[in-house]
Amino acid sequence: MKNFTYFQPENLKDAAKQLGNNWKDRLLIAGGTDLLGLMKHNLERPDVLINLKSIAGLEKIEYLPGKELRIGALTKITDIAEHPVIREKFTALAEAAGQVASPQLRNMGTIGGNICQRPRCWYYRGDFNCLRKGGDICFAVEGRNKFHCIIGGAPCFIVHPSDLAVALQALEAKLIIFSGKKSKSVAIKDFFVLPDADVYRENILKPNEIITEIHIPEPASGCQSGYLKFQEREVWDFATVSVGVSIKKNANFIETGLVVFGGVAPRPWIEQKISQALTGTILKENTISELTDICLQDAEPLEENKYKVVLAKNLLKNLLMRLNNI
Amino acid sequence: MSSRKIIKSKYFFEEDFVESLAEVPVEKTEAWASGAELKVVGKPTQRKDGYDKVSGSAQYTFDISLPKMAFAKTLRSPHPHARILNIDVSKAKKLPGVLEIITHQNTPKIPWYFGMSFLFDTTLRFEGDEVACVAAESEHIAEQALQLIRVEYEELPFTIEAGQAMSEAAPKIHDTNILRGRPDTYERGDIEKGFAEADVVLEETFTTQTAVHNTTEPHCSVVNWDGDRLTVWDSTQGIFSVRDGIADSLGIPASHVRVIKKYMGGGFGSKLAAGKYTVMAALLAKKIGRPVKIALDRKEMNLAVGNRPDSVQKLKIGAKKDGTLTAMVHESYGASGAYPSGAACSWPFRTIYQCPNLNTIDYSVYINAGPGRPMRAPGHVQGTFGMDSIIDDMAEKIGMDPLEFRLKNYAEIDQVGNAPYTSKRLHECYQQGAAAIGWYQKRRPAGSSPGKIKKGIGMASQIWWGGGGPPAYATLKLNRDGSATVIAGTQDLGTGTYTFIAQVAAEVLEIPLDNINVILGDTGVAPYGPSSGGSTTAPSISPAVRDAAEQMKTKLISGAAAILEVPERELSYRNAVISAITDSEKKLGISDVVRQMRERVLVTTGLRNANPEGYTINSFGAQFAEVEVDIDTGKIRLLKVVAAHDVGRILNPLTSDNQFHGGIIQGIGFALMEERIMDPMTGKTLTTNLHNYKVPTVMDTPTEIEVIIVSDSDPLISNTGVKGIGEPAHIPTAAAIANAVYNAIGVRMKSLPMTPDKILHALFG
Repeated sequence: MKNFTYFQPENLKDAAKQLGNNWKDRLLIAGGTDLLGLMKHNLERPDVLINLKSIAGLEKIEYLPGKELRIGALTKITDIAEHPVIREKFTALAEAAGQVASPQLRNMGTIGGNICQRPRCWYYRGDFNCLRKGGDICFAVEGRNKFHCIIGGAPCFIVHPSDLAVALQALEAKLIIFSGKKSKSVAIKDFFVLPDADVYRENILKPNEIITEIHIPEPASGCQSGYLKFQEREVWDFATVSVGVSIKKNANFIETGLVVFGGVAPRPWIEQKISQALTGTILKENTISELTDICLQDAEPLEENKYKVVLAKNLLKNLLMRLNNI
Repeated sequence: MSSRKIIKSKYFFEEDFVESLAEVPVEKTEAWASGAELKVVGKPTQRKDGYDKVSGSAQYTFDISLPKMAFAKTLRSPHPHARILNIDVSKAKKLPGVLEIITHQNTPKIPWYFGMSFLFDTTLRFEGDEVACVAAESEHIAEQALQLIRVEYEELPFTIEAGQAMSEAAPKIHDTNILRGRPDTYERGDIEKGFAEADVVLEETFTTQTAVHNTTEPHCSVVNWDGDRLTVWDSTQGIFSVRDGIADSLGIPASHVRVIKKYMGGGFGSKLAAGKYTVMAALLAKKIGRPVKIALDRKEMNLAVGNRPDSVQKLKIGAKKDGTLTAMVHESYGASGAYPSGAACSWPFRTIYQCPNLNTIDYSVYINAGPGRPMRAPGHVQGTFGMDSIIDDMAEKIGMDPLEFRLKNYAEIDQVGNAPYTSKRLHECYQQGAAAIGWYQKRRPAGSSPGKIKKGIGMASQIWWGGGGPPAYATLKLNRDGSATVIAGTQDLGTGTYTFIAQVAAEVLEIPLDNINVILGDTGVAPYGPSSGGSTTAPSISPAVRDAAEQMKTKLISGAAAILEVPERELSYRNAVISAITDSEKKLGISDVVRQMRERVLVTTGLRNANPEGYTINSFGAQFAEVEVDIDTGKIRLLKVVAAHDVGRILNPLTSDNQFHGGIIQGIGFALMEERIMDPMTGKTLTTNLHNYKVPTVMDTPTEIEVIIVSDSDPLISNTGVKGIGEPAHIPTAAAIANAVYNAIGVRMKSLPMTPDKILHALFG
């Protein structure tokens, strides 16, 4: 790890002022559960670290009934997992939060940091000058790719590692982003980018921008959501595949639905076809099976990750059945 | 009792039989009988080191901090095969806080890896091979300095897969890529005749992965020179082996090297010898005149300090319709890594089931990866997986229950040594284990479990040596207050050695456990004790401790006889009081005896007895696993593991249970998730942290682990009748799980680890 200057701003303006206009030299730190590892392995070598924890007001959960849920970017993942309103009304998010990493990491990690974490690809994290680090090739293509993406990949085949991002996408969250003077609101579906748009970054944040809050609209009545994560190890692992779903039910029919996969693509992957097909579906085991069969039809698995297609379908089926008490 | 002789001693230690001359007592102290009423030994006993560990006051090697201590870090090869053309350390040396840098350019050529290489070689044969070592004021500065060392490498062609490395065209790592240029072979009977007699012949190939020890405490040393004498604190399984390795490397007398290890966070076979890091630290410490600490990080541990070689096992067995095995063939190869390390895995195959016609061929192959080291039962874990998988397949093929099939082919004697066993109670392991898992009630035909969550039960057998043997010593000192100190040259890896040594001494001398201090892991003060590997520590040391205590008791009785003027034979020793049988008024506490003998300390040294001639010593066992396989995800969950073992006398059921639990959990890791994965294009390892190299967490352990010990003692072996348990606990777990998985899903998994992707692939293509 390189030596760095540690800056403790008192407010967002000071923090934004400290941030420069390039990625390398000045970085924000919140929980540090990802950044410290990146620094220890020399993937990040900042001159200045700007500590967001010194700014008051970024750690909060506010529920405005009938309107929205507002979560400060520095809110700990544990607090989200345990919050009674989130568990009841924004279930997918609480379930995702409860399965992040391990209790120790959830106690340190923040929601803002979680959605901005860097890929866990073993080539990116390892001693390989890969595409995402400015090299010429993605080593996963010809290499060991059991955990890599099956869709949206080229030219870099990472998966997005965040559990919370998948759930937030299913709940159609908005991110409030501060850039020096003013704040803007960005729908989460517009936040993440695929490698063909930008192979070096996983989202649209500019070097001087800071996520301050996450807003989630109040679910309409009849709405339900959930999150299922599959990991090789029972805890302290990233999703091999995960799925977040929100549906609005009307008697035995689904009125609208949104299906988002994690672990299959370089960003939380919205399955448009499924989401559309859900509308009007009668909730029975065989209709759900038929439905899930059409998902990820465009997937192009690599040598070692074909199983992810089966896994994704099965997880979706199980989650839909659970949400409908089948 | 104290008369001694020197004999030729031979017993199995980790990868092979070791032979040495050993001093043994002429007469063995009579063994505690099976079923003997013992007061301390065999009773659940809290660890003597328990308080220190849970309170955090226990000092591990990693915790040692000396005044003016410097820190060392190692620069390692980024390439799997390369030649060093030039090293430029000038920039690194200028970094403030850097004290010294050593490379091949400024150090003597110290032979390493059985003389096949040097401490610093200019040819690098695996990613992680040592290039340079830096001492600095802090570990942080040392790490920064590594990045400033400029090395010019000539990259060489490499091979990282044993099958490929055996081919003519493969890049050569040494003169030949096959260890010793030939395979290990064994044969008995007439294999062709055997197969001709068979009604059913099965042929299958099984593979196992490279696994890495990944101990909790990293490999680390703290070294300090005092003039020309060197003290080394090392996280090691063998203080004497480290002492001799360092003395030889540095060319100094063994008497000038003192190796100390008090507490330790795991070894599993990866810490049996002196490490390069220790010698590098000693060289640096000498140059800078300060103590040096060197600790490996997780990446270094996954690259450079050992692994369990992988295996490809082609097995062929034949049996008659009645279940009699007629012929068995094992052909395997496995990757030793870049330097010698045995990859053979046919030992259990040769001996555990009765079969008159049997051949084995094992190739150990060099590849450009970190050298293997013994890992918790070398060869046995992978070999048992292949063997017990095909045995289960054969049982099914001929329509026999797998347990009945094993009993049908029960070997009464050691077929390789052609000798009887000192004890073999494997049939009781089968019976009691089967009862505990509900074998006959719960087990259904393979693949018949309904629903998405499929349940299955499987089992596997275990054989291992673990009888230990001489030489091993223990010194007992009795103080005038009746308290005792036992000093032994063994070491406690966390397995409970401190505690059982105190128990054995307390049993004989009948003094409270709290009055016994045990000093281990210090070559400066202890008589010789063997390295702790091969499940030999308790079987080798406990008889020496008992011998020392019995000698002390004799000495005390003799002293009391002189004081009381009563013949020794008319004295009794009870609760540390010696009294005349005929006159209960005449009695002395042992502290009175010591006081009157006007010695402040009485000293005895006990010896491990010779093993009985004409016998083979093995431990045995059977493990049973009940699993659940979710066919939607391919996830395997362990519901219950039953471990039923014949391991002689158990000294302390609490620490024995601990070791069984640990061995089984490590077996679950090997069965389900642990795997070193290498990149084929670059020859580099991808699993260099504990996220990618998945060790099980407590959440991955079974709901229930039941340990059954069917044996109470093996009095033929020694005066304590102990066999080791460290490796037996781990050997059959993966094989039992694999058979349970087959029973659950009806598809045979032939490759470890059985990760979800493999299960889904097997089920759905």
